[in-house]
This record gives sequence, structure tokens and C-alpha cells, in this order.
Amino acid sequence: MIIEAAQFLTILATGLFFLCFVFSIFFNVNDVNIIKLISRIYSHSFFLFLSSFLIYVWLAINDNFSVLYIAQHSNTNLPVFYKISSIWSAHEGSMFLWIIFLSLWGAIYNFSVHNNEPLKARTIGVISITTVGFLLFLLLTSNPFETMLPLPPENGADINPVLQDPLLAIHPPTLYLGYVGFVIAFGQAIAFLIEGNSSINWEKQVRFWSIIAWSFLTLGITLGSWWAYYELGWGGYWFWDPVENVALMPWLAATAFIHSLSASSKSSILRIWTILLSILVFSLSLFGAFIVRSGIIDSVHSFANDPERGLYLLAFIGILVMTSLILFSYRFSILISNKRIVSLSKESFISINNIFFGTLIFSTMLGVMYPLIYEFVNDQKISVGAPFYNAIFVPITLLACLFLIFSIESKWQSKLKFAFLNNPLIISFVFSLFITFLSFKFYSVSRAWTLASLFIGSLIISRYILVIYAYIFHRKFVNIYSVLAHLGLGLLIISIALNNDFSSERALNIKINETETYKNHEITFNNLQLTEGPNYESVKADFIIENKNGNKFSLNPEKRKYFVRGQITTETAIHASLLKDIYLTIGDQLDDGSWIVNVQFNYFIRWIWFSATLMIISGLFLARSLNRVHS
Amino acid sequence: MTVFLRVFILCVSLMFFYFFYLYIEEDKYYPGASFQTSNMPLFELEDLYSDDVITNSDIEGAHLINVWASWCITCRIEHGFLVKLSSQGIPIMGLNYKDARIDAINWITKFGDPYEFIIHDLKGELALDMGVTGAPETFLINNGKIIAHYRGEVNEMIWSDVFSPIIKKENLFNDN
Repeated sequence: MIIEAAQFLTILATGLFFLCFVFSIFFNVNDVNIIKLISRIYSHSFFLFLSSFLIYVWLAINDNFSVLYIAQHSNTNLPVFYKISSIWSAHEGSMFLWIIFLSLWGAIYNFSVHNNEPLKARTIGVISITTVGFLLFLLLTSNPFETMLPLPPENGADINPVLQDPLLAIHPPTLYLGYVGFVIAFGQAIAFLIEGNSSINWEKQVRFWSIIAWSFLTLGITLGSWWAYYELGWGGYWFWDPVENVALMPWLAATAFIHSLSASSKSSILRIWTILLSILVFSLSLFGAFIVRSGIIDSVHSFANDPERGLYLLAFIGILVMTSLILFSYRFSILISNKRIVSLSKESFISINNIFFGTLIFSTMLGVMYPLIYEFVNDQKISVGAPFYNAIFVPITLLACLFLIFSIESKWQSKLKFAFLNNPLIISFVFSLFITFLSFKFYSVSRAWTLASLFIGSLIISRYILVIYAYIFHRKFVNIYSVLAHLGLGLLIISIALNNDFSSERALNIKINETETYKNHEITFNNLQLTEGPNYESVKADFIIENKNGNKFSLNPEKRKYFVRGQITTETAIHASLLKDIYLTIGDQLDDGSWIVNVQFNYFIRWIWFSATLMIISGLFLARSLNRVHS
Repeated sequence: MTVFLRVFILCVSLMFFYFFYLYIEEDKYYPGASFQTSNMPLFELEDLYSDDVITNSDIEGAHLINVWASWCITCRIEHGFLVKLSSQGIPIMGLNYKDARIDAINWITKFGDPYEFIIHDLKGELALDMGVTGAPETFLINNGKIIAHYRGEVNEMIWSDVFSPIIKKENLFNDN
């Protein structure tokens, strides 16, 4: 009964969202009353939809297994936390959450933007129609409200043990918040195109929303990377998995977008870029949803599929994107600025980097699509892996960073002037050269790309430290959060390069009580225990590792076998220190009684996530500082 | 120049969506389906209801093999369709996967029995040899060869899109 009520609320909300869209497109949105009406319908509709979701959460907590989806993905023995997170552990429920977030962004926007301009009403209209599209997708092809009557199962199903991890419970929601957060920028851009009045400055407001969405997207990707590292036992931070790639593309587009925004919120000079990028960011987010949910690509992420879903999503995304692009080309003339971009101005550097970002997005898309095209034509499966992406990403990223360095010096709409003596650029240049030379000479870094990355990374860091110096001692104005985010970038480049250069791994065959030496570390296989957990049995190994200074510590990698599905999982054991992680996983036992043990030394891997965290936090503070200026 | 740019952007994105449309319309989009031919592994396993041993010789000719378990919720949803298939005369062999005997028998009593006979594969030995990753999964075998394999729930649509074409092509199940 309750579940039918929840479904009814969702259907009602769908109708009201559609009404919002109709009002915002076909009514006179210059009328303040209409604007207020649209805003009011939107919030009512959002509350109906939210209560439907809350009822669903309540049903999940109370083990209502007459709801098919809950019966399939939850279990009476799970802690409450996992009962809730089981909602987004599969397709239907995660789509539900995705739409909740989509409309939540719209609701927050609706509440917090107080100027009753036509732009606001139109934006809400665009957000509404996007929400309606996804709601219909939910109700027609992936209904989470379906019931299982009579005879609901008593205990529910056992959920995939790999997914029973606190980090994984938070990873999808943050990622979704990031993905759908760009609906505000998209909505404003489309509203701006519909209005067709080039004097409206839509960019200023959007910066705040987009930077927050960008921070969530970065956070979601980082959490996913960390989870794969310790839970899946893959032992790295990035695998160029197709679904990682479809999250990377909106991230790249979003990064280009927020930089272009800062240019075009000052003058309308990069408007074509910002409009196009805002459409691109949101389209790529939707494209990600399509790839994951149509089952086109096999991956750890893909959901069980149904071709109808793919077709529906493709049609919906296609209509949304094509309409936006037609609108874009129809209004092209009002987007063209009569000012020219001054060469060597800040705008010029941002445009150049937009082209670089575009190249990266295009190459990633090529890497995702090439296997599909190949399969389509030749009926064979191939995969595009790290060598392809590395060959493109490394040089282009470094080049883009070089332009970033020059852009620090440059000014809006005026030519960069080089002052050769006492120039901070020269100082940081010399400093980075020195660092690179030191690491070449004393730390046996010899690969050219690592040295180049080290050089560029230190160049970014030292240059921005000089910016901070000027900020503190010469009161030279700068947005300190943007500086911190770019320091994160410098650190990220250095950590990735060093991780790539120093990390190593080896598979050992080792018996109990034997000792092997790997890279000045003595690894002793001390003991092997059979233990039993609440719903699994496990083999737990005990290793003592002694480094050359005589420090000892123990690591306990595990292999678990879960009773219900018979699934086997590997629990990694990680010893983390400032510079490196010692990462141990156990494999199978061989016939002679020895075990295969994989030892990895992962250098600077914590630094990669630390840099990402620095970027995320600076992003959030940056958005906060922007909001204070505007309101 | 600007006209060219506009038309270019529109055409490229249209082609992009058209490609995915073509891809989806091809029957390759069922990632659960595989049509690689392989030999049916040799097995000797107990019947679910008795101590009789079932071997390869019991499944000569064309058969469906359906992997199921009482702990599998999706199997319950699939079950109704299997009952319908068996009433149309399609021979289905059940492969009870990693399940307690008593649970499995109770389950069948409750929801009906579409199977000719059911193999009790407690340790998942045969399932492992056949490349089963979970339940439900369904195999189509003909004269000791696996000719189709589907991971996931078989329903009306999967039956007509994945299984029917190959059944027609190989001219199977015609004697009924």
C-alpha cells in the first residue's frame, strides 16, 4: 500500500515538473506573477518527489521485501547504513537517487536565487524538462516501485560483498551530485539562448554552482579511485576503465568550462566557448549515464541491462542535446563578441587551453568509441588501454601547464609584458631546473617524461608560491583558493610522475616460514589462519616485513569466500607511510604448498589523493568566496 | 566560416547519436549473451530428489540448462517464464547451484517445476566448468555442445531476441 503511495507521489511530481516546463516556455515570463508561480510549482513538486524518496528509504530500513528492488538488494542482517546504501547499489535505485539529486540542485537554485528575472524562470523550466525526461525513464523502463506479491522473501538477498564498503556507499552519491550539478549551468545557458538578449550576464551566477559541482565531481572520482585501490586489489589509482573515462570526460570539460567562465563573466569575449562548454559538460554527464546504464560496455560499473533502457536514454539525450545545439547555432550571432582576443592576454591563454582540453576529451572519446566501432565493423572485441591514453595525456597536459604558467603573469584583455630581470617567472624557472637536475643526479630519475613532469610540476608550485609571497608581502590581489587549487595540480603532476617512475611490483612464490627479499625489504611468511566471519570464511596470512633499518611491521592480507553466493574476494593489506605504500595481496596456493603473493611498492600514491583533496577543498572555498561577492 | 562551424557541430553530433543508435539496434547490445561454441563439460552429479547420478548421457539432443538457486531473487522472477517454456514442450534441465537440498526442494514445491530433472551442484563444480558466474544463467546445448549462453534473467524479450534466432537457424526443438 505504502509503496503505491510513493509511486503515486512520483507520478504526481512528474506531472507538476512538466507543468513548470510548459509555463516557462509558453507563458510570458516577464510577468513577475508567472515567475513566482513557476518557482512555487517547482518547490511543491520537489517536495512531493522528495517525500516519495523518503518513504522508499523508510521501507528499505524496515526491510519491506514486498518491494521487488529492496528484496533483490537488501537483507535483514545488514546494518541500517548498508540498508540505505543498498538503494543505490543497482540500476533502478541509483537512477532514483540521480533524479533526486537533479531536482535537489534545481530546488536549491530555486530557493537561493532571489532575483525574479525571466532567466530564472526559464532555467527552472529547462531543469524541469530534464527531470521529467529522467522520471519517465525511471517509471517506464526501470521502475523501483515494482512489488513482489504474494509471498515476499523473508530475508531478502545477499548483496555483493564487494559493495559492502562505507566508501562505496558514499562514492556514487558524490559522483552523481557532481554529474547532475551542471544542470544549473546547462539550464542557465539554454535560458540565455532562449531569451536571446546578449546583455544578460548569465555567467556570473553560474560560476558559483559550477565550481561546487566540479568539486563534487572531483571528490566522486577521487573516492572511486581510492576504493578501487584498497578494495578491488587493483593496486593503482587509475585504470582507464571505460567507465572511469566517461567520468573523466565531463571532468575535463567542466574544468575547461569553469576557467572560461571566469573569462566571460568579466567580458563576453569567450561566450561561444562557455555556452558550448556548458552544453558539452552536461551532455557528457548524460552520455556517461547512457554508457553505464545501456550495458554497451562491460565494466565493474555496468548495470544489468535491458536494451529498451539504452534506446530510451539515447533518444532522450539525443533530443536534449540536438535541441540545445540547434538553439546554439540559431543564436550564434548574439554570441559573437565584437572585441577581438588580444594576443598574450589571459583570455588568449584560456582559449589555447580550451583547445588542449578539447583534444583530451576528443581522445578519451576516441578511446571509448574505437572498440565499439571496431566491434561493429569487424565483429571482434579489442580494448584500448593505458599506452594510448598516456601517449596523448602526458604531452598535452604538460603543454597546457606551460600555458598556465604564462597566464599567471598575464592580464585580462592586455598583452603580456616580459620584464626579464627580477621576474618571478625566471626565478621559478631556475628553481625548477635545479630541482629537476637534483632528482636526475641524486635520485636516479632518468626517464625523460618523468623529468619533464617534475620540471613542469615544480614550475607550477614555485610560481604559485611566489604569487602567495606577493599576496602576503606586497598586497597584490589574488584569489587565494584558486592559487591553492593550482598548487594541487602541480603536486598532482609530480606525484603521478614519481609514482609511475618508482613503483614496482613482484609476484612471489612463498611457503610458510620462508623469507624472501624484495628491494631491501625482508618479507617473512609467518603464519596462515583459517577464520570465519559472520557471512564468510577466510584465509588470513600473517607477514612480517623488515626494512633495511630494522623496522618491523606485520601485514595481514586475506582471501574471503562468502557463503551465500560463493564469491571470493581479496582483502589487501597496506602499510602506508609518507612516501610509499607497501601493498600485499595473496593469490592461490600452488601444488607444492607455496602461495602466490603479490607485493607492490606504490610510491607517492597518497600524494595523488592529497593533491586531489587540495583541489576539492579549494574549489568549495572558492565557490563560497564567489557567493559572498555576488550576494 | 561561422555557417560552416554551425553545420559542422550539428552534423558531428547527429552522426554521434546515429552511430549509437545503429549499435544499439544491432543485437550485439546484450552483453549477457555469448554464442561461442564449446564442448559440454563431463559431469557426474546427483539428482536433486534422489541419489541417482546424472551424467552427460542424460542430456542428448537439444536442451536448455538453467542455473538457479533458492537464494537467488532474480531466479524467482525468471521462474514463471520457464514454466511457460516447459509447457510449450522445451526440455529444460535445472542446475541447482550452491544450494541446500531442502531449501531447493521447498522452493520448487512453492513455485512449480518446469524442469525435466534437476542436478544438485552443491559445490558448483559443473557450474565452474561451464563458466557460470552467478545465477540465473541459461545455456542452450545441442548434441554435447554449448551453442548459446545467457547471463541474467531470461524473459519473453531475451527469448525472442537471443535464443529464438539460433534455435531457428539450427532447427532445434522441432519434433514436438
